[in-house]
Amino acid sequence: MSSATARPSFFEHLHPPSIPEAQARFRYTFGLGGLGAFFFLVVSLSGALLLFYYSPSSEQANASIQLLQYHVPLGWLIRGLHFWSGQALVVTTGLHLLRVALTGGHRGRRRFNWLLGLGLLTLIVGLDFSGYGLRWDASIGWALLVGTNLLRQLPLLGESLYRWAVGGPGLGEATVLRLFGWHVFGLMLPALALLVWHVFRVRRDGGIAYSPDSADEPAPRLPRRELVQRELLAMLLAGSALLIVAAMAAPALDGPLDPAALSTEVHAPWFFLWIQELLRMGDPLWMGVALPLAALALLMLLPYAIDRGTILGRWLPRDGRPAQMLALALALGWGLLTLRGALR
Amino acid sequence: MTASPRPMLLAALALAAGAALVGLRDATPAYAPYGSAAPIALVPSLTGEPEYCLTCHDGIEEISAAHPTEAFGCVRCHGGQPLALDAETAHAGLLGGRNPSDFAVVEAACGGSECHGGTAEESRDHIQRSRTSLQATYAGAIAAVRHAFGAQADSVAHFAVAAVSDPTVTSTTGLPSLEAFAPLAASEPAQVQAFAERCLTCHLNSGAVDRPGYQRQSGCAACHAVTNWEGTYTGGDRTIPRDEAGHAAAHMLTTAIPYSQCNTCHNRGNYSLVDMAFHERTDLAVDGSASRLAAYYQPISQFSACEWELDCVDCHASGEVMGDGDLHSQMAEVRSVECRTCHGTPTEAPLTRPITDPDDLALRQARLNPASALQLGDTVVVTDHGDTLWNVRQQLDGTFELTSKVSGTVYAVPQVSGSACEQDPQDQAASACHECHSVERP
Repeated sequence: MSSATARPSFFEHLHPPSIPEAQARFRYTFGLGGLGAFFFLVVSLSGALLLFYYSPSSEQANASIQLLQYHVPLGWLIRGLHFWSGQALVVTTGLHLLRVALTGGHRGRRRFNWLLGLGLLTLIVGLDFSGYGLRWDASIGWALLVGTNLLRQLPLLGESLYRWAVGGPGLGEATVLRLFGWHVFGLMLPALALLVWHVFRVRRDGGIAYSPDSADEPAPRLPRRELVQRELLAMLLAGSALLIVAAMAAPALDGPLDPAALSTEVHAPWFFLWIQELLRMGDPLWMGVALPLAALALLMLLPYAIDRGTILGRWLPRDGRPAQMLALALALGWGLLTLRGALR
Repeated sequence: MTASPRPMLLAALALAAGAALVGLRDATPAYAPYGSAAPIALVPSLTGEPEYCLTCHDGIEEISAAHPTEAFGCVRCHGGQPLALDAETAHAGLLGGRNPSDFAVVEAACGGSECHGGTAEESRDHIQRSRTSLQATYAGAIAAVRHAFGAQADSVAHFAVAAVSDPTVTSTTGLPSLEAFAPLAASEPAQVQAFAERCLTCHLNSGAVDRPGYQRQSGCAACHAVTNWEGTYTGGDRTIPRDEAGHAAAHMLTTAIPYSQCNTCHNRGNYSLVDMAFHERTDLAVDGSASRLAAYYQPISQFSACEWELDCVDCHASGEVMGDGDLHSQMAEVRSVECRTCHGTPTEAPLTRPITDPDDLALRQARLNPASALQLGDTVVVTDHGDTLWNVRQQLDGTFELTSKVSGTVYAVPQVSGSACEQDPQDQAASACHECHSVERP
């Protein structure tokens, strides 16, 4: 079993026989991409279990969560793991993007995978938002109203997209089923496809970006058995953290939402606070739609028009200042807006 | 670099710790501190939906015989989340916090044509009646103070503590609507503003002054949920702290309302228009141990035996206290009980009427009171206004008996007719009777 000549297991076989050790340096990647994949796996599996109990109608949705949370054996744990892995997924995906931007991982042939990654991040935020809406309790009303109304701001197609999203001229009976459809199929299937494509491209593009320092000496390599062990270690630690957090903090749950009588307390989920703050500053079309889309467009353009450097495999390469400034400025802006929203 | 077994061991330990925490959390649900080993389900017959409130609130008193727990459960009146098993979620959407009879939510909690509101018959719409009563509007006090300080020419009410209207005026003094008083206060004379600032707590829309002796709830429960001197709960619900003020003594509604409940607002002191302040009585023991005679009336007062031996609700009929369905300007407009109502005059016996309809309001009211012995076919005393004193019955021999609504004690009601009483039937002020029938406070 321990012999290097033993036939590789299924999990080992998913990896190349060996990779350059420089690709696996923890302080280079912090394992964020892998952690993201792990959280995606946990959120998908726990979500599949939630499907057994969740009832996607406006009368039953909230009650079915209460049933799961309080009466199904270990139902609270499934819901807790789903919630916390979903939050962790947004965080790790965001940090992963920042890591790639600050190490030039988007450069050269990897730039297309940068686009796939941005697509994934967008879908993941959409999944978190729709999942938040599926809670269908009194606390989600305003964020759901504001978030879906943003679609209406889009010129031409806005109203149609809005009706697609909420299932009618306003939040109501059909909204839960629509959110449910988007959450478990409409956003989930593309996200899964993009994730597979993203991982495939990582390998096709030569693995994690690194610098083959010297052509004379072969760079030290890491066998896949070791790589799988490291991944297992990371998954054990991340899984333990999820269990501990889920055991100590249950996701919030209020009484059922009545879309006709929204609470006056405006209360957005943390990953949506920045949009809420932008909306407070001005016109919803410009601040709520155009500005976030412009930020996304800038990020998409980053490897194509903003950053043409070539140094790989290290943090903050000299030839990538504009890209680094852009990524940090966006992160800082996001952070300040979120902080401002959180302190309200 | 090969992964040494040590990180893997640490990771396994972390996983074990996570699993242990999950096990611990699963074994100690939020209701565990209240002693239940498993969720306690109740399926009230009126809703047919399971509710789990008793998981924590096991031991709580049935609210009243008229609201059996098996039929009503908790959620029909209190709202909240029937399936939840932690306090925060379970109490989301509670109507009126711990008091669903607060007037802000009473319509949703206690109303509806099948319950206590929304019927065309005013005498059965207790919610509308109470909300338009002087105890709720405080219109009499507001009108009197505004009149005294020149803000209005007469003492007819124009304002209440909250805007209120009555679509069906039935009495000659009834008003169609009253405006909310507070928003106007800035343009009022200084004394009226001081009144608005300091004196608008003594009405049913308001909670109690948070001091011993004043403890009561708002809304219907102000009178129907009996509180003790400290406002502490002494019942069987383990979730309610025993040393916390602001609670009824038990989770019970009653029509057997003792005088002490009325005293949480009344007889506690005097209002002074000079300094626009409430001056608390100084002759009362601060621990609530004052005798019934002392607690009832202030030293300066004169009173007859029935005025302190009986409880307030034995004489003050429902229409006086809970309102007659109309908005009035002062108590005199709704006062219907006088000494002669029960004692008659030298020439006339009290007004009476026989109870012949099994659905008679008096019978329905009597059924709610455990002290009552009222039967179909009994003859009971009525006031000039038509209010029935169902607890004052005429016996077959023509004599009258009053049954205390609180203690069940039966009192013979002496009649003026045939006695040495020199009552002037036209002079029914209590002071006239007190000239002979007064008791001195010790």
